[in-house]
Amino acid sequence: MANLTTRFFGLELKSPVIAASSSMTGNLEQIKKIAKAGAGAVVLKSIFEEEIYHQLQEELSLRSEMHSDPEYLDYFDYVIKDETLKKYVQLVAAAKKTVDIPVIASINCISSGDWTLFAKKLEDAGADALELNLFVMPSDAGKSSECNEQFYFQTIKKVKEKVNIPVAIKISHYFSNLARISGELSETGIAGISLFNRFITPDIDIDTQKVVSTNVLSQANEYLLPLRWTGILSGQVKCDLAATTGIHSAETAIKFLLAGASAVQVASVLYTEGVEAITTMNKGIAEWMDKNNYQKIDDFKGSLSMANAGNAGAFERVQFMKYFGGKEF
Amino acid sequence: MTDEKEYLKIEREKEWRVELRNKIKNKERTDLLRVKMPEMDPMERIKYQDREVNQGLSVAQAQAEAVRCMDCVNPTCIEGCPVSINIPKFVKYIEKGEFLNAAKTLKETSALPAVCGRVCPQEKQCEQSCFYTQKLKKDAVAIGYLERFAADYERESGQISVPETAPKNGIKIAAIGSGPASLSFAGDMIKLGYDVTVFEALHEIGGVLKYGIPEFRLPNKIVDVELENLKKMGVKFETNFIVGKTASFDDLKAEGYQAFFVASGAGLPNFMNIPGENFNGILSSNEYLTRVNLMNAADNAFDTPVFKGKNVAVIGGGNTAMDSVRTAKRLGAERAMIVYRRSREEMPARIEEVKHAEEEGIEFMNLNNPIEYFADEKGHVNRMRLQRMELGEPDASGRRRPVTIEGSEYDIAVDLVIVAVGVSPNPLIKNALPDLKVSRWGTIDVEEGKMQSSIPELFAGGDIVRGGATVILAMGDGRKAAASMHEYLQQRVTSNEF
Repeated sequence: MANLTTRFFGLELKSPVIAASSSMTGNLEQIKKIAKAGAGAVVLKSIFEEEIYHQLQEELSLRSEMHSDPEYLDYFDYVIKDETLKKYVQLVAAAKKTVDIPVIASINCISSGDWTLFAKKLEDAGADALELNLFVMPSDAGKSSECNEQFYFQTIKKVKEKVNIPVAIKISHYFSNLARISGELSETGIAGISLFNRFITPDIDIDTQKVVSTNVLSQANEYLLPLRWTGILSGQVKCDLAATTGIHSAETAIKFLLAGASAVQVASVLYTEGVEAITTMNKGIAEWMDKNNYQKIDDFKGSLSMANAGNAGAFERVQFMKYFGGKEF
Repeated sequence: MTDEKEYLKIEREKEWRVELRNKIKNKERTDLLRVKMPEMDPMERIKYQDREVNQGLSVAQAQAEAVRCMDCVNPTCIEGCPVSINIPKFVKYIEKGEFLNAAKTLKETSALPAVCGRVCPQEKQCEQSCFYTQKLKKDAVAIGYLERFAADYERESGQISVPETAPKNGIKIAAIGSGPASLSFAGDMIKLGYDVTVFEALHEIGGVLKYGIPEFRLPNKIVDVELENLKKMGVKFETNFIVGKTASFDDLKAEGYQAFFVASGAGLPNFMNIPGENFNGILSSNEYLTRVNLMNAADNAFDTPVFKGKNVAVIGGGNTAMDSVRTAKRLGAERAMIVYRRSREEMPARIEEVKHAEEEGIEFMNLNNPIEYFADEKGHVNRMRLQRMELGEPDASGRRRPVTIEGSEYDIAVDLVIVAVGVSPNPLIKNALPDLKVSRWGTIDVEEGKMQSSIPELFAGGDIVRGGATVILAMGDGRKAAASMHEYLQQRVTSNEF
């Protein structure tokens, strides 16, 4: 029987299938089911820096209607942060008591503000590791790429100064040189990089002529972008890699392991197929390993990365030369 | 509202007001400049914790300022006053030289005129709505200074008027907390004939007026005179009495109390929960000011004196922060600093308080925010790490929000840090009444305008409803609650429930 043990978040996991941070992992009952289904680890629903900001805006609107003293509201973001953190600490502690798989706390941040120092409280609450979902959409033309990149390094530095548990990061693909920056990030002492965080994408409804959100859940074909980068970065970075986005089946999970990921993070499939999808994926991976005579994940992990596949062009090619280069229309 | 307008019109058309208006042309009135409040010299005043900065207007100054008021047909200033003081009437009494009548007019709707004349943010209330500000774009009539003048004159004359009260109706009601909301409520209800008892948890009556506002801004003896007046009107006060602990609501109901006004304030200080905030030498402004103002902690001879820092940082930009930093300066700080994460323009403190603080040598470290504290081997704070900030887009309050400047951290030496970043409601009442509807933040939900809670016989106002309220807004709540509770109780009287 294939051994599915792997390593991510600086921890040994019994399966490479991790329940990614989502609203489902903010609920203790669901966390229990996820563990029972065989997940290697659970990344708890993130504390969202943006959400704290939005809650503050709501409170400011409400209280200004009530003519509350501006002094009362001046630091109200700290009150919201405190309440959010208290609830989160309770969730971490309860999850730790309830399940026997690693419990990963997650912070979704858009700035490296002082609140990242609260990471210590998540460690104290018993989190086995911390995932920093560094959620930067480089849409501010006033900010240089260097400034955006500094945010990653400063946040990691601040958090690592405060905690001893492993710290992994989840990043986007919006970098001018993703390979170089990933390499540099991997040298900061982080325990892993997850590729990539997923922004809700805008669409335009031509009937209402409004901008709308689309594809809240990932589609199965969205895995190709992280797959390319897992293959490119595997072996180049000095930490473990995990992949996320569009991983809905054992087949896709296996592709990532072949490209060099140590684990995969799943979320959308848990909504569409239920937590049993984890059991199905574990079973599928094990069967495929048995069929191909692999005893353990390391036997094939990264065998088809850019460095090992012997066909670097397959990962790097950015033009459809073969298909369109010489074709006449 | 129509009745009120009609009443104001009748008052305005009284012979003495018409005569006064005709005596000086409006052009001459508007050409006059606003009076300046005489102040104690900054270097002298920082030697004393209990000497008032503002010295008050002289008779001549007050009358000259009162002349500026045009006694408008539509007195918009009244709309800016949460307790609806008949402002033109009291100002015109001052112009006429009838100062005791001016004080009497104030007391028609305000239980605390000497207090309001000192601590109300008039520049954001009545004076902001004044014709001078709105239409002439000139300095408003100094309504706050004149209010203080009339109240002080009456007190110093020894001829303090006691407002008339209706015959007793025998209905017992309770006010919980003895701050401005409760006192205003009690003043109105006693006038209507109710048997009013105010319950206070501390040993002193006055709530935030006593424990929160330092004597250099509001002397306790001024508050005491106003309290004495309420006592003379028949209001009873019970100190060291915590409703919900000393006695439950049911106990009080059994004693015959028919309705309650909860104005227990927001006594739970907020902190920033940043690393090191638990070190010795870091305390809330609530604790610091209460100990100095009410417990003689400025005096080393007392049992529990406060630590008097040399390098004192006060975190925050509101009036509480100003009160704390100016107190620290008076207690001997060599360096007394305001650390505030926004710019000077965004500070919620009154402009006058900021000006006074600056004159007294307070250092303003705007666009800075603490992110961590460090301590010596004894666990006493000796250093704080600050992060520089810049201003981003405006938030829902219209103020530009502070944004961190990455990599800008630096350390400064401190030996006392006072955290003045707001307060939250004490959960005592909520815990005592599980059926009471409260917000996520513990403030009591009330029907707008009526101040009635989810428990019909329970009304609430001030900080416990708004989270934070200015003194005058809390007093306005007290008045609204009184009118609404009166209506509620009279309905019960009509239904023969008593």
